[in-house]
Amino acid sequence: MRSWVILFTLSTCVLSAFSLEATETGHSNNWAVLVDTSRFWFNYRHVANVLSIYRSVKRLGIPDSQIILMIADDMACNPRNPRPATVFNNAKQHINVYGDDVEVDYRGYEVTVENFVRLLTGRLPPETPRSKKLLTDEGSNILIYLTGHGGDGFLKFQDSEEITSQELGDALEQMWQKRRYHEILFVVDTCQASSMYEKFYSPNILAVASSLVGEDSLSHHVDPAIGVYIIDRYTYYALDFLETVEPSSSKTLSEFLKVCPKRFCISTVGVRKDLFRRDPKNVPVTDFFGSLRPVELTTSTVNVSPVQLNNTNSPKKPVIKYKYVDQFPDLSYV
Amino acid sequence: MRIAVYPKCEKFLTSICEWAKGCLKVIQLQLQSCAKMRTAFAMYFIQALILSAIGDVGFVSCTSDVDDAFNEELMLKPLPSGHVYAHFQFTTLWRTDIETETFQHSRLFPRGLGEIIGRHNVRELHVSLTEGLWRYEKWGYPLQDTGSGAEVYAWFNDDRRIDENWKSLTNALAGLLCASLNFVDVSNSLSPDFTFRPSGAIPRPLNSSCLRYSSLPREIVCTENLTPFKKLLPCDSKKGLATLLNSAYIHNTNYHSIAVDVRPVCTNAACTQTTIELRQTISLVYDTMTTDSQDWSVRKLFGIGLRSACPLATLSRVYVDVTDNETSETYRLVPEPPETLISLRGGQENRIAVYDIKSLSNAGMFNVAAVHSKAKIYGVEIPPVLFANRYVVGYGQERGGLVTKLHNNYWKPLDVVLLENIPWYIPVYTHTIRITCQGKLLKPLIKRYVPGRERERPYYLEMVLRLPPRSVTEFSIELDYLFLKWQEYPPDANHGFYMGPAIITSLLPTARNYTALPQDGSTISSSFNASRDGYLVQLRTEILLVSLPTPDFSMPYNVICLACTAVALAFGPLHNITTKRLVLKPSKKNKLVSYIREKLSKTKVDKIE
Amino acid sequence: MSTTQKFVFFALAATIRLLLIYSEYQKIIADRVEVSTALNSWKKVTEGVYLREAGIDPYTGDLFHESPIGLVVFSYMQKYLSLCMLCGIFVFTDLATAWILGATAYRYTSELIATEQKDIQKRKKESNDEELSTLPSSMSIPASSVTSSALLVPSAYLFNPYVVFNCVGLTTTVFTNFLLSAALYSMINKSRLCSCFTIAVLTLQGLYPITLMVPATIYLARNEEGKNKNFPYGNINKTIAMFIGILIALYYLSYKVSGSWSFLHSTIGFILTVPDLRPNIGLYWYFFTEMFEHFRWLFVASFQINVGLLYVAPLALRFRRDPMLLAFSYLAIAAIFKSYPCLGEVGFYMALLPMWKHLFPHMQQGFIVSCFLLSCTVFAPTVWHLWIYSRSANANFYFGVTLAFAIAQIFLVTDVLFASVKREFSLRHGLSREIHGNTGKLLLE
Repeated sequence: MRSWVILFTLSTCVLSAFSLEATETGHSNNWAVLVDTSRFWFNYRHVANVLSIYRSVKRLGIPDSQIILMIADDMACNPRNPRPATVFNNAKQHINVYGDDVEVDYRGYEVTVENFVRLLTGRLPPETPRSKKLLTDEGSNILIYLTGHGGDGFLKFQDSEEITSQELGDALEQMWQKRRYHEILFVVDTCQASSMYEKFYSPNILAVASSLVGEDSLSHHVDPAIGVYIIDRYTYYALDFLETVEPSSSKTLSEFLKVCPKRFCISTVGVRKDLFRRDPKNVPVTDFFGSLRPVELTTSTVNVSPVQLNNTNSPKKPVIKYKYVDQFPDLSYV
Repeated sequence: MRIAVYPKCEKFLTSICEWAKGCLKVIQLQLQSCAKMRTAFAMYFIQALILSAIGDVGFVSCTSDVDDAFNEELMLKPLPSGHVYAHFQFTTLWRTDIETETFQHSRLFPRGLGEIIGRHNVRELHVSLTEGLWRYEKWGYPLQDTGSGAEVYAWFNDDRRIDENWKSLTNALAGLLCASLNFVDVSNSLSPDFTFRPSGAIPRPLNSSCLRYSSLPREIVCTENLTPFKKLLPCDSKKGLATLLNSAYIHNTNYHSIAVDVRPVCTNAACTQTTIELRQTISLVYDTMTTDSQDWSVRKLFGIGLRSACPLATLSRVYVDVTDNETSETYRLVPEPPETLISLRGGQENRIAVYDIKSLSNAGMFNVAAVHSKAKIYGVEIPPVLFANRYVVGYGQERGGLVTKLHNNYWKPLDVVLLENIPWYIPVYTHTIRITCQGKLLKPLIKRYVPGRERERPYYLEMVLRLPPRSVTEFSIELDYLFLKWQEYPPDANHGFYMGPAIITSLLPTARNYTALPQDGSTISSSFNASRDGYLVQLRTEILLVSLPTPDFSMPYNVICLACTAVALAFGPLHNITTKRLVLKPSKKNKLVSYIREKLSKTKVDKIE
Repeated sequence: MSTTQKFVFFALAATIRLLLIYSEYQKIIADRVEVSTALNSWKKVTEGVYLREAGIDPYTGDLFHESPIGLVVFSYMQKYLSLCMLCGIFVFTDLATAWILGATAYRYTSELIATEQKDIQKRKKESNDEELSTLPSSMSIPASSVTSSALLVPSAYLFNPYVVFNCVGLTTTVFTNFLLSAALYSMINKSRLCSCFTIAVLTLQGLYPITLMVPATIYLARNEEGKNKNFPYGNINKTIAMFIGILIALYYLSYKVSGSWSFLHSTIGFILTVPDLRPNIGLYWYFFTEMFEHFRWLFVASFQINVGLLYVAPLALRFRRDPMLLAFSYLAIAAIFKSYPCLGEVGFYMALLPMWKHLFPHMQQGFIVSCFLLSCTVFAPTVWHLWIYSRSANANFYFGVTLAFAIAQIFLVTDVLFASVKREFSLRHGLSREIHGNTGKLLLE
């Protein structure tokens, strides 16, 4: 009976939380697509960027099954990493953003422009496993975070191909037409990042970029033990802010849009609000970085018919003789 | 939803089930009526809650008289080279038929994996992810052979739609284990005739057309693979030996390998019934020589002591192989082992200290330590009976050769099966095969060869060789490096391309340095005193890195323009010659030349003036 | 021409070839991408024969692309001949090719002189223009050129370094060249069966020589042209029917020999779809390496049309009066634009050039072309080494060389054809380029 009670109390908690939020935001579930597009060890900071965001959204309640994490290279178990299976976003090394239960959905060579666009638009081969699909619907709030090397109007993938802002805009429009999202928070940390959202034309997208066109996004600091820059400025301060957010906190997106002012970032953080219908001042950060788990319960009584057990007299199967076969070919005839 | 009910706690569970079922029904009804709530997440959530609640009760109240069991074991073995070999094995046994089981409900067996097996008609599945190379010469034979990178092979119940099943299976495994196994397809899969025989119990002989094998030597192994691996365990990483699996310590080793093997085994001696055996193993080789002292302990190796056994496990044991300590007495185990086994197997005597975690765990944190009383002196390592090396010869990116060396240290001839797995982008010439041993040519007893096809099929070469006693046999073959299309090169094209390991299978007559489980055994304990006629080893050689010639990746437009210009250069004159007539025309003076000439003469005149 | 001179030439050529074959350079030459391609490499033939002996269908793999009939022949060669005799056969075949080419050149030149004399006589009768009747004598072909071209053509074949490399590299192009020369010889001798048979065998092996049927048909039709003014439909139909009949028979035989039709994919399919991107002296390899995948088939089709179909009809109409020149232009275009060209084929058509010695004065780009060819021959191995072995250059360097080589050959072919047109003009209108006292210019309109 103990579990009965626990179950009930748990459910009611969630129920009240849901009914409150559902009326306000109109979304029913949360997804995150976090992409690091850079390969090679010297791009360690991009992996640290994306893992920092991964850590935050996971901490704020989006389950791993609803986070699509794409990492183009293996930094944690890279032979050059002095501390295997860890990625740090700070030279003081107090947060291992790789954690002990990370699940990378697309890794290495799988991180391509084609796979990314297919993921967004849902046009994946039939045998794709569930963990590699973005199973969103018209009630989904999606956080899309991209980091890597970019230029005016494009973002490089793996140093060998690039996605243009037009392609990205078209992919998002296709998502909208297929009712694959309710609202999108698009965050991009790359050089000339604001060029990536200039071509967007689909509704309900709030876009944030680490720098304006013509500006470089800079890295924050170097860790002499690792030997490379370990995080970018924008993500560093964004993470700083997100660490103060709790699942229940009422911090709003307008506060998030203000992180990393020019004196810290050196670049100017770009924001595009015209496609977004709500005022960021009234939108909680957890609308995108947290997760909803909507549950509805009924208080009416339930009649359950007894379980039918049919383990009696199952038809006798013919006795099959199994055997182990030799593991080595019989060479007697050679 | 189907909930199996165990006889002993039938009444209690039935009532819970009734409630749960009704609850779900109502929720479903509500969901249908409520447009906003069409997502099924709510249901999942409730379902999960109910199931976990029922599960908890079920596990506690009715663990006896069930058809599945779970064992966890850890073998620690100091290697003669100064390394420590740690081998975790988690075995789940489920008394049901793999062919007919629907995998709708399971207790200890991971349902996610079960569904994959059931959906793809799999009879036997072996997946491994390995970082590093097992050094047979120094370390002897491991409990389980795995090739570097990812390796996967599966036996299917029949070969209907096998290629689709295989593709879909590897994709599903890619999702399950967070590895890029989705890169496996027909172009890098083989169906070897001799190397992989079904290791489980089979009702009828299976043809190698029901087998698919592939290896992805480039695959990395990291925390993201360990996480889903641990989630397959009944106790997750919350309790039992799995708590020792901390990624930072596991990936800091010289060799680590994660493997999942599923096969049907005989339930009874007559073998009229089968049990599905899921064997999850992690092999680690730690280097204890680079640290300050040679002492090692569970806490030092894994960063944490062992708190308790997994409550669901029937067997929860730690073994320490103390054979090498017997003669030299260089270290002692703390705490003293409650029991020491002597295992006699194929002429080899092993002493094994056994710690039963279930009985020990009451006394707080458990930790086994080897404390050296005097410095261990490393002697000459006696290499095992059979080992092999492989390397690429030649220079330049045009052509080369592949050499595999097989060492037989036994006093009698040894029969081995050599499987060469050569990717399609490295075409080989079979007429250049040379197998030499002590200066003489050796003829393979059996040879199987299927030539590869570009982008379709790898080169499959399998040979049965009889290696003369105490000899080194060298197999060599010439190969070319293919020129690929520019979009087929990976982003780091100049890093090179990997070639999977060759596999050498043999049935050793002696169990020297041999630790693997017998075919009919499921737990590490079954390998003690398990003398058999032969001891199967499947050695994996080194994976090889070859660099293929690369084009200039920034050139497509230029090349297309230039080549088309050359074609146009031919087309223009030929078109003129064939369609036009030659006529004599009064030649017009070149206006520009005459103009310049005029100007020049004028300036000259100006200057003179 | 003296027989001793000829004998000395042949002996010298044989010695050079044998010396090189038995030297350490043989392997280096045989491994060169310019000499051995996927289609003609002896190593691949050996692999195919080995697989056939081992009971594996060589066409299931990717390495063997000869026809099944060729496979049978080569497997008998490798089975019953020692290495020594095998090399001997290659050298002997090469010499025989040269000899047949000599005979072809002799026949061609004497026929050419005869026709031109007849033409002039005819024109003399028709027109009273003094100038015209006298002029061509200065440009008419001297009778001595019959013997000189019969010597020059074989020597151009025997001592052409491209052909020597081809023979030393033991490529199957040696046999292809032999069949080509036999085809040319039989068509000029108006032997219908022989020419149809040789061209059918060549088609079976390499597909592109099918274009040779056009000059062969013209030659065979010409036989009766003198007697009968009507267009010789019957004759042409007979030739074509015979060719198709033999070709079908050969394909059927191949099917019987190999046991399945899978060889089509590895021979014709391999030639047409260009899956092998190993560098060679042609234009395809880098082009299709760098091609965007969705345009691949478009360009494969257009390149194949360019080499096989585009020029057949226009050239045939233009040079119908000189089928040998037509055959030469087809061979040259194929050698430049085919999917897997090799030096042996280039050497073959270049050896034919002395037949048109009388056109040389009308050619303009001889110097440029020879400079191009020379520098390409030197640079190709150099940049190849830099790219593949020392890795200090990249693929663009080698592509540049093959591009230049192709362009030089294009210049050569178009120059020869243009010279022929110009000479024809001069024969009709005289060498003078003056119009009413002013210097004029020859233009194509």
